[in-house]
Amino acid sequence: MSRIKDLQKNLFGGTTSNARQFGMIFTLVLIVLIFQIWTNGLTLRSDNLIALFNQNSYILILAIGMLMVIVAGHIDLSVGSIAAFTGILVAKSMAEWSLPWPVAILFGLVIGAIIGAWQGFWVAYVGVPAFIVTLAGMLLFRGGNQFIGNANTISVPEGFRVIGSGFLPEVGPDTGYNNLTLLLGLAACVAVVWREFQARKTRREMDAEPAPMWISVLRMAVMVGVIVFASLRFASGRVGTSFPVSGIILLALVLAYSFYTRNTAGGRHIYAVGGNSRAAELSGVKLKRVNFFVMMNMAILASLAGMIFVARSAASGPQDGNGWELDAIAAVFIGGAAVAGGIGTISGSIVGGLVMAVLNNGLQLQGVGTDKVQIIKGLVLLLAVAVDVYNKKQGRFSIIGSLTRSFRRDTPAPPTAPPDAERETARTAVPS
Amino acid sequence: MRKLIGKSMAIGAIAALALTATACGNGREGDTGGAKGDTKGFAADSLIGVALPSKTSENWVLAGDLFTNGLKEAGFKSDVQYAGASTTVADQQAQITAMVTKGAKVIVIGATDAAQLSTQVAAAHAAGAKVIAYDRLITNTPDLDYYVAFDNFKVGQLQGQALLDGMKAKKPNGPYNIELFSGSPDDNNAGVFFNGAMDVLKPEIDKGNVVVASKQTDVKQTAIQGWKAEGAQARMDQLLTSTYGNKELDGVLSPNDTLARAIITSIKGAGKTIPVVTGQDSEVESVKSIMAGEQYMTINKDTRNLVKQTIAMVKSLQAGNTPEVNDTKSYNNGAKVVDTYLLPPVAVTKANAAEAYANDPKLGPLTK
Amino acid sequence: MSDLPVLLEMRSITKEFPGVKALADVNLVVRAGEIHAIVGENGAGKSTLMKVLSGVYPYGSYDGQIVYQGAETRFSDIRASENAGIVIIHQELALIPGMSIAENIFLGNEPRKRGAIDWKAANRMALDLMARVGLREDPDTLVKDIGVGKQQLVEIAKAFAKDVKLLILDEPTAALNEADSQHLLDLLRGFRSRGITSIMISHKLNEIEAIADQITIIRDGRTVETLDVKADGVDEDRIVRGMVGRELSSRFPDHTPKIGEVFFEVRNWNVRHPISAERQVCKNESFTVRRGEIVGFAGLMGAGRTELAMSVFGRSYGVYESGTIIKDGKEIVLKSVADAIAHGLAYVSEDRKAIGLNLLDDIKTSTVAAKLSKISRHGVLDEVAEYQAAESYRRELRTKAPTVDEGVSKLSGGNQQKVVLAKWMFTDPDLLILDEPTRGIDVGAKYEIYGIIQRLADQGKGVVVISSELPELIGLCDRIYTVFEGTITGEIARQDADPETLMKQMTSTKKMQTR
Repeated sequence: MSRIKDLQKNLFGGTTSNARQFGMIFTLVLIVLIFQIWTNGLTLRSDNLIALFNQNSYILILAIGMLMVIVAGHIDLSVGSIAAFTGILVAKSMAEWSLPWPVAILFGLVIGAIIGAWQGFWVAYVGVPAFIVTLAGMLLFRGGNQFIGNANTISVPEGFRVIGSGFLPEVGPDTGYNNLTLLLGLAACVAVVWREFQARKTRREMDAEPAPMWISVLRMAVMVGVIVFASLRFASGRVGTSFPVSGIILLALVLAYSFYTRNTAGGRHIYAVGGNSRAAELSGVKLKRVNFFVMMNMAILASLAGMIFVARSAASGPQDGNGWELDAIAAVFIGGAAVAGGIGTISGSIVGGLVMAVLNNGLQLQGVGTDKVQIIKGLVLLLAVAVDVYNKKQGRFSIIGSLTRSFRRDTPAPPTAPPDAERETARTAVPS
Repeated sequence: MRKLIGKSMAIGAIAALALTATACGNGREGDTGGAKGDTKGFAADSLIGVALPSKTSENWVLAGDLFTNGLKEAGFKSDVQYAGASTTVADQQAQITAMVTKGAKVIVIGATDAAQLSTQVAAAHAAGAKVIAYDRLITNTPDLDYYVAFDNFKVGQLQGQALLDGMKAKKPNGPYNIELFSGSPDDNNAGVFFNGAMDVLKPEIDKGNVVVASKQTDVKQTAIQGWKAEGAQARMDQLLTSTYGNKELDGVLSPNDTLARAIITSIKGAGKTIPVVTGQDSEVESVKSIMAGEQYMTINKDTRNLVKQTIAMVKSLQAGNTPEVNDTKSYNNGAKVVDTYLLPPVAVTKANAAEAYANDPKLGPLTK
Repeated sequence: MSDLPVLLEMRSITKEFPGVKALADVNLVVRAGEIHAIVGENGAGKSTLMKVLSGVYPYGSYDGQIVYQGAETRFSDIRASENAGIVIIHQELALIPGMSIAENIFLGNEPRKRGAIDWKAANRMALDLMARVGLREDPDTLVKDIGVGKQQLVEIAKAFAKDVKLLILDEPTAALNEADSQHLLDLLRGFRSRGITSIMISHKLNEIEAIADQITIIRDGRTVETLDVKADGVDEDRIVRGMVGRELSSRFPDHTPKIGEVFFEVRNWNVRHPISAERQVCKNESFTVRRGEIVGFAGLMGAGRTELAMSVFGRSYGVYESGTIIKDGKEIVLKSVADAIAHGLAYVSEDRKAIGLNLLDDIKTSTVAAKLSKISRHGVLDEVAEYQAAESYRRELRTKAPTVDEGVSKLSGGNQQKVVLAKWMFTDPDLLILDEPTRGIDVGAKYEIYGIIQRLADQGKGVVVISSELPELIGLCDRIYTVFEGTITGEIARQDADPETLMKQMTSTKKMQTR
């Protein structure tokens, strides 16, 4: 009995103590399983998994930046246009000025930074709402794309295409798998185990009883299992294919930005600004700098996403970036971010983005038309946020949520009362 | 002690998982099928994928229906997909990839952006699927197998000629004022239509017999992004205001019916008499318009014939034969010269409509 | 009084939330035409009881009986209770700032003529209602352009527009200054003479003592007792005893100040209003703070005390014009909040929910928010150090929360204030400016906060306390400045401070020196 309780309390907590986020992971697993059965195993086949990452890495990269923008209390509607604008410039720089492709990538990132600085300036230093600035940016850079590209499609060279459609190369002995992908998986397993023990150590230092050992083991086993499964899948793709380069870029960004948002002062400031900007300002947070940074960062990531898409499509075209902002925003909100800002995580947004991606992919494998796919995606977005709002209104978490509530300490959390109920956690005593 | 147990449990679990995963996914996939093209044909009930652009024109919707039914009749399994309304390229890329995953033997693609599909075509080729470009040539890929389309240069020529004939019929002597419209610049065909039309019109323009009053003759100026009706309407509105305040407009070269009707709407809105307007695709509304004497002409590229031809190619591939082609020189997609089958288009005016659509169940009755 | 007919009787009301019994067997008898006060500490269940009465928690979601005007009632929502003449005015005013007084009064209840709103009639009726509550304004004035006191009157006028029989006021004077409070209390007396019954929830015991006929005391969701003010000879101490369940010997902890040298000084401070530049909110103000000293700032609402404090705190309010700040004998320039924090200043704002805390945070993150550099290296946060810091303050300040992972939004006002204090103590300040540090906090928690303030002073820090409650300033501070319309009008030593002297200087520009 107590073991089950331990399990409920500890297994899915850890870093992702957000109930909503767990709900989404659960949903993701469920959707994957449903499609796995429905498509007779196509969903988890290695070529499909590879395609899934290839097709969605640029949206997920946008979601990282968008999460930070939304947490800071803003929105960015211009990411698609920025991506298209950068895409055409980078394609032209290689086609007409024959920039070598690594230089062209750098050039693209610089363009992103300049655009970001432009938008950040208006948002942070002039105080124009980000909605307006980026709506203007959406028009501005879409027009810029058409002006420069004359609505033509411009091809990019082979080397450049690696960032969008390249794979980990085949090296070493023939093991029947892609060796580098296996190594990557191994590294991930080691990291998971190391992190678990690190977390236990931290908890002991925080005078808290760590979760029972067997739970840590179970948690590690689940995660290692998933990683082993995934890396074997990716490693067994058709010769020449393996874990995609764009997936590696995504992975690196997710790790770096998760660390930044969770574990650094700068990341903490973004949450503070979004949660209560005036309070943050009065705590010494440099509001303008934070707002400038999130807008600029978003534009740089949008440029990167644009280049990856161009690389994947082998050409920059006038339709690039259409509607991307909506996909990225949807991923962030499905992943549990609050519209008002201050709440949300990178990993949640990635999971949110993956839910949409798997849904899209699974329905396409089933031959469901885009019209219906869009309807279903719209409903999923609405439902995901509605469930969250409903739970908040009820002042309690869902059943799933209650499983995850308190990983942090062993003291049972007090029952959650409705937020409007007058209640003091413990009555104050007056010394006589 | 407990720690030790825990650790050994963890290791055990990892090992077990690794084993199961290895057992079920041994070795690398995807080497099956006729990747090298040396195998003879494929099973008669194989999956055939058809990826079409978004449903912006009746023709694509009709083509989709014809493919679904035609492939079924021929005994194939079919997967017919349209790209979404806004995220067209990305959608089509994902759809083609999904078809490859599902093991389609032939993938027929009506490209949204002809230059942005090379990665997916390569993947299809690598997986052993044949790729047929339908109506629009896919560029910059050596992995495209066939191209099937109407002779689009011919389409342009027919439009140009009809425009001249129509204007002459209304007003025996020039000079005639005309305006030029062309299709979406990301569609490879748009330029071909335009060049075909200009092949006929250019000599007349040079002679001064035909005048483009706005002087907008460059394809960049005349292009309508995404073949969008509202784009054509807006451009026509502007031309009327800027150029035709006190001038008569005699003819408009419109690349297709959707744009032609938008142009006519604009002209009617401005209270002008409707000039000679060309079209293409034989859309229902345009055929009605032609019968009512508004739009002057359209092109009948009978989608039925094109789909029929495509399915015939699929069938001969299934049998292990080389499909019939009639042009192996003209269509260079930037990476190779693609084997092509061209169908002849037919120009339709009010005069020959009844005859041209005699066999068409939908359009035929409109001409009575 | 007790011979008046009973208007309302709430019988053994019990209300449970998942896991919490907010009300247990509460009884309340209100007689027609009286002013009935409900008192209790924060979290005792007062507001919950009023929500049951007004139908916010509909019939069926609680146990017990409500008998109103002789018949049992079962309100399904607020509208139902309003139709019966029960109107509740919440602590947070429910007015729409961008609408006029008349529009607010008739919101949802607009007089109509042939389907359209009859503004002529509305304005006429609004003037009538405004006269009844003693509000002299143009009914077209926007609500955001009048003061909080007048906004409260608009709320009451709105209640009258609905033919009120029983008026419920939740902390009506919490945000009002002395003069506005007095006006409101007089108004309630006037209602009583006209036979309107009022229920008033308040923390201000002096007001209750002055105005209430009956007092019902609630503690821990139970009725403790109902006192008849006249018959039982009730005074503040008697009420406090009922509220906390024991005798409260002193409202302030004993304290012997250890005052040192002047270490902080503001000279000739001039600041202009952030939007209307012609308004000067700080006019040539100068003050000093000594080590170990608690310095009070008394003044009416709008006198410019908060503006002075915030403009000194890294120019976080208004447009700086001139003036110098001297700390430890050296002039310092504080251009931003970060500068101010770096120079050892801390400012605890008067509105902890709006600008003091990020309510999405937990105790841990709130505690370290103003000085992340203390728990980080190269910008990377040390989770363990963060936890340890927060935990040590939680113990030291006796913040009532199960763990430092608890969200601050779940804490009571007193405990939230302790978290804010911890946040600023964590920055190791030399000078703490506390703006209304005990607003909205119950008696017991106030006592603790006073103790914390005194301990901080004893550590050699300077403490500035801004408060609208004169007894608090007199009981706590070693020296008090009075502020009137952006000018410091007086400086009074502890032994000379009494409410009359302070009040006089808070309301006149004449400088008086009583030191």
